Amino acid sequence: MKANKKPFNIWNTSTLLILCIFLLFIAFPLFLVLKKSVIDPGTGQFTFEYLSKFFERKFYWITILNSFKVTVAATLLSMVIGLPLAYMMRKVKIKGSKVIEILVIISYISPPFIGAYAWIQLLGRRGVVTEFVNNLFGTQFDGIYGFAGIVLVLSLQSFPLIYLYISGALKNLDNSLNEAAESLGYSNIQRMFKIIIPLIIPTMLASALLVFMRVIADFGTPMLIGEGYRTIPVLIYTQFMSEVGGNDGFAAALCMIFIVVTLVLFLVQRIVASRFSYSMSALKPMSVEKVKGYKNILSHAFVYFVVLLAILPQLVVTFTSFLETKGGQVYTGNFSFDNYKNILFMKNTAVIWNTYKMGIIAIIIIVVLGVLISYLTVRKKNAITNILDTVSMFPFIIPGSVLGISFIFAFSDKPFVLSGTVLIMVMSFVIRRMPYTIRSSTAIIGQISPSLEEAAISLGASETKTFRKVVVPMMMPGVMAGAIMSWITVISELSSSIILYTSGTQTLTVSIYTEVIRGNYGNASAYSAILTVTSIISLLLFFKLTGKREVSV
Amino acid sequence: MSVSIIVDNVVKKFEDTTVIDKLSLQIKPGELFTLLGPSGCGKTTLLRMIIGFNSIDGGSIRIADKEVNHIPVSKRNMGMVFQNYAIFPHMSVKDNIAFGLKNRKLGKEEMEKRINDILRVVHIEKYKDRMPDKLSGGQQQRVALARAIVIHPEVLLMDEPLSNLDAKLRVEMRNAIRSIQQQVGITTVYVTHDQEEALAISDRIAVMNGGVIQQIGTPKSIYERPANIFVSKFIGTSNVMKATLKVENGEKYIQLSDTYQEKMANLKDQAKPGGTVLVSVRPQEFMINEEKVGLKGKVIRSMFLGINTHYFIELEQGEEVEVIQDADAVELIPEGATVYLKVKPTKINVFSSEDETTLIKVGGINESK
Repeated sequence: MKANKKPFNIWNTSTLLILCIFLLFIAFPLFLVLKKSVIDPGTGQFTFEYLSKFFERKFYWITILNSFKVTVAATLLSMVIGLPLAYMMRKVKIKGSKVIEILVIISYISPPFIGAYAWIQLLGRRGVVTEFVNNLFGTQFDGIYGFAGIVLVLSLQSFPLIYLYISGALKNLDNSLNEAAESLGYSNIQRMFKIIIPLIIPTMLASALLVFMRVIADFGTPMLIGEGYRTIPVLIYTQFMSEVGGNDGFAAALCMIFIVVTLVLFLVQRIVASRFSYSMSALKPMSVEKVKGYKNILSHAFVYFVVLLAILPQLVVTFTSFLETKGGQVYTGNFSFDNYKNILFMKNTAVIWNTYKMGIIAIIIIVVLGVLISYLTVRKKNAITNILDTVSMFPFIIPGSVLGISFIFAFSDKPFVLSGTVLIMVMSFVIRRMPYTIRSSTAIIGQISPSLEEAAISLGASETKTFRKVVVPMMMPGVMAGAIMSWITVISELSSSIILYTSGTQTLTVSIYTEVIRGNYGNASAYSAILTVTSIISLLLFFKLTGKREVSV
Repeated sequence: MSVSIIVDNVVKKFEDTTVIDKLSLQIKPGELFTLLGPSGCGKTTLLRMIIGFNSIDGGSIRIADKEVNHIPVSKRNMGMVFQNYAIFPHMSVKDNIAFGLKNRKLGKEEMEKRINDILRVVHIEKYKDRMPDKLSGGQQQRVALARAIVIHPEVLLMDEPLSNLDAKLRVEMRNAIRSIQQQVGITTVYVTHDQEEALAISDRIAVMNGGVIQQIGTPKSIYERPANIFVSKFIGTSNVMKATLKVENGEKYIQLSDTYQEKMANLKDQAKPGGTVLVSVRPQEFMINEEKVGLKGKVIRSMFLGINTHYFIELEQGEEVEVIQDADAVELIPEGATVYLKVKPTKINVFSSEDETTLIKVGGINESK
């Protein structure tokens, strides 16, 4: 172990290098947010003015209430859908269950704001379903906007996460526990309440909190379908955008308040995860059974209906992308490729290539840094790698819009002028996604026995060579699978991109958003279809690579 | 108090394959009855038919002369110990044990008393309030056993209960299970693939293979007089050799080599002279002798184990056999030495070469009484 004693070996050097990157792209921007939120730029004095402004006017503080209302409602609703779905899929033989599983995953990986946009097309003011219902019954239904719209879209987007978690927990639930209770005289329903539900409660809490975090930080959905029902991310965005060059302090204060909210949620989630968990491994998982009669029909009806609702946005955008429009806004009822012609030949095609280019660069950085950081924090534990470990968790609690604003604060002025560059977009992707890759890589390293590395070193390989030739190749399959999932989330990132983009770095998601805002539904659909197809192809690649039809969430 | 279990011509089908076809056996009140066989032989399937997790597709199972075919598991009043113990991870030891009692309208005092009694019987009073993840494998096993018998079931069923424990704990736990079973006096069906465990623990054993019972008997009768080649090889170690059956002056002999034959007094009448038979000799049923009579062979390897010595001997006619000599034998035979082996004619078993069933008078499918 002589190598470790040298002060500047490869490990120490890379640790310091990564720490510098973290300081620059995490600590520095966050520090600026904190500073701007409590320091008056004119006098340089400490002030509570910005923070108190938020709580003084109902116009502002109502957003926090709104955020909690939609988040609680959407979380509960996604539980109400996700739990029975998971149970039925594990317990009852559903025809086409493999396809259903994939459709659920597809709806999970697609960006929520596409859902919002698709539901506007169906249930909006001039939506297909709205007009149909109004014509049929002569009603004056004005479309689903505001609270109901947000909750609808976000629940349908979030229940797959609940489903995937609960389904995993049920798979790990040993059926002999069920059988033991049965032999001790407990009926079917009693077993459900005494055994199955208590055992999956930890997973239910954990997945509900994850949904909560996702939903509360979502920007695109409330922005598109909220129509005046403003949540915190919407307020942050509008405040920041409307006060260009003006008062950064208030936007910073909003960011701080938001970070406090997500931090509390994050800590609660940690405590729940560590406090309530049973190590279970199923010798014999619950078996799927053929059910007869009305139970069978009801199960099938429920599963098919839910999955149809979940996948409907993808179907709608793909379908409408082939519809001819007049002036981009009104559908003529004919099919055409005009929308695709428009976005591929008439408009700036750079937005498509930007997405791929910046996404791929970001993924490469994420993978390299992720593997390195997880190796350092697991195998080369010391004071500095511990700091690295902690700092790498920070992005978990930074909502996308906050990250975007903090980057603008940090990189608009000297010494680091990066705004408008590809680098700032790429780094925002990297910082947003990194913690997930680190977490999965850490799990993978944990499964590789250190004795393999010791064997390589005892055979004469250097530590660096051992890392390159033994550790990295063993980690690669798992890391690549993780990288694909990261890629899918990176290309659907909106909340930070919408703040950081310029015309040269515009992405697909930003284009969809701006086209929807302008009312160019045809173009928006075509962009969405491209994004959806890319996600689905990536997902199929992921399945191919892992050899499984499952995603780890 | 104890009840009998009668399995009468039961059939089990999984989709279109019949895994158990008309199997019958009778388990006496209070006995510890073991279903023994290699994996996939149907022993667990049969056990799960008795408790009701598997349906019965033909025939009947009767507990205390009452057919249970259509009684749901939760009403059968049977205790079961699972291979992985199936301890509820979200309940303390006490709550696990109380779980089955809570469903049976018992007074609070009666319940406390029963729990405390059983904790004492299985020696886990100390761990009463612990959560399962703080228990060792052996302790979890004891909780599982306590939970199954505290409800005073009519029958106790155990599915490979020791297979997840290490070797030493396995011996300790099988002694514990045996003594607790005797103390409680409950009719018990025990499933295992470990023949040593089966011999050690059982009153009687049913050896199964391919969904069919090969032999039912006491451990001693099964070991000493296996009904067929399968049982003889599955239980303990057997050297199986070919030999010829001869009759001289009305006496039956088996000819093991050109120069060596033994008189057999216990062969069945159906054993016809002139035919080839299979002779199964356990390692300790060989006698190494210096008079140069018997099967000639060469020692290729020896293993000194303290209590005895194992020799691996290559016979002149090509087979390799394992021979065990007690430790009190004079001295070790060097590797490469030529030796002569005689067999103990009263101990060895002879099987028909056609259907591989025994040609010895006592024994057979039906147990010796």
